[in-house]
Amino acid sequence: MVPISFYAACAMASVGLLILLKPRNGTARFGASALALSGLALALATVARAVDGAAESPLPIAAMSLCALVACFAGVRVITHPRPVYCALYFVLVVVSTAAMYVLLRAEFMAFSLIIVYAGAILITYLFVLMLAQQSPTDTHGAEAVNYDRIPREPASAVFAGLVVVAVLGSAVFAPRSAAIAQMDQANAVRRGWDDLSRMPDLLLARAKAIDPTVVAVQADEHGRRLRAGSGSSATVLVSRTDGAAPAAMELPASALPDNTSRVGMALVSRFPISLELAGVLLLMAMLGAVVLARRQADIADDERRAHAGLPRHHDHAQGGGA
Amino acid sequence: MTPELAPPFTPASPVELSIALLLSAFLFGLGVVGFLSRRNMIIMFLCTELMFQGTALAFIAFARQHMDVSGQVFVIFILTVAAAEAALALGLVVLLYRCRETLSSEAWSSLGESQASSASDAPSASAAGGAL
Repeated sequence: MVPISFYAACAMASVGLLILLKPRNGTARFGASALALSGLALALATVARAVDGAAESPLPIAAMSLCALVACFAGVRVITHPRPVYCALYFVLVVVSTAAMYVLLRAEFMAFSLIIVYAGAILITYLFVLMLAQQSPTDTHGAEAVNYDRIPREPASAVFAGLVVVAVLGSAVFAPRSAAIAQMDQANAVRRGWDDLSRMPDLLLARAKAIDPTVVAVQADEHGRRLRAGSGSSATVLVSRTDGAAPAAMELPASALPDNTSRVGMALVSRFPISLELAGVLLLMAMLGAVVLARRQADIADDERRAHAGLPRHHDHAQGGGA
Repeated sequence: MTPELAPPFTPASPVELSIALLLSAFLFGLGVVGFLSRRNMIIMFLCTELMFQGTALAFIAFARQHMDVSGQVFVIFILTVAAAEAALALGLVVLLYRCRETLSSEAWSSLGESQASSASDAPSASAAGGAL
């Protein structure tokens, strides 16, 4: 059941956003920012109260809320700032705060790849295109941005559409979570974690050595398995401590489970290998497509520059890579 | 189970998950609003990236809730698609900018060649039409 204060918070934030979208003077923007921020805080408080989390430590929740506030502020600036370059820079702030949230959600590998791919690669591409399509020389010294960047198109209906989207998506936040399913998920996760570890012989040996430094090798049992998951969260392996000694059973505690990065890598190559190949094909196709587009564009630009300079056009100048 | 389990294998705090899902909804909504209300084509594509961010955050949150890495693997593919989309879309935007000398999406409200500003733009507009 979605509490009514959640919809009220969304409506408050939408009104603030609607005022922020239009170019205004300082006080109106300040009031609108306060309205949107209080709507956001009310939404966060509603969620924190609706979900029973009485016995939780407040520090991660405070960190999460801080990340959410920064990300929302930066997201609002992305869609309201009149200068495209600042929009791109605020998008970097969105990416960084989202990556901090990934770390809090124990997805460290994805947090760093998000920063590398988004803030490092995609946003640089955006900035290059913004520089390529620089609007007018008057933009550099005047505070006046070009008209189509200042005045939004149909802000009221756009904000209403966004409000509907957020209100519908918000119902997922208040969906009840079953404790039985959580327990089943946990058992599956532990079983899959040991399964992943048994396929990584080097990591398995390192884990065994961390517990007992005299271990020299991990043996497979008669069924060819290197590791047998126990009833609880621990597992047993057969290790040999000196060369030629009979293998002895050794218990691995739950702290020997593989970390997030190992699990992501193992899932990529063991559960989704075809998707990985297809992603590579997709990137190759995108690269070819970008090359085709860039070639045609250089062709046109060169031809047009000749036309502007009063020179005769020549269409056979296809290798104009210097343009 | 036993308390010595590391955090990826223990259930996530429901409040943290809810905040993450709420932020993902807000980011997606902001992307929708920006895509509908901005008129600069580059910013419109930036707003689609904002929507990608919201979606990816929801995947990460659900991966944490179910303690399964499939959601994180899906985000890798989202990043792949976003990179491919950015490369192609920005190439197209530069192509469109060369035709009309403006980034405003309203310069393309009619897709015919009749709106070309000068005669010299006509061949490039037809070339862009062929590329699209």
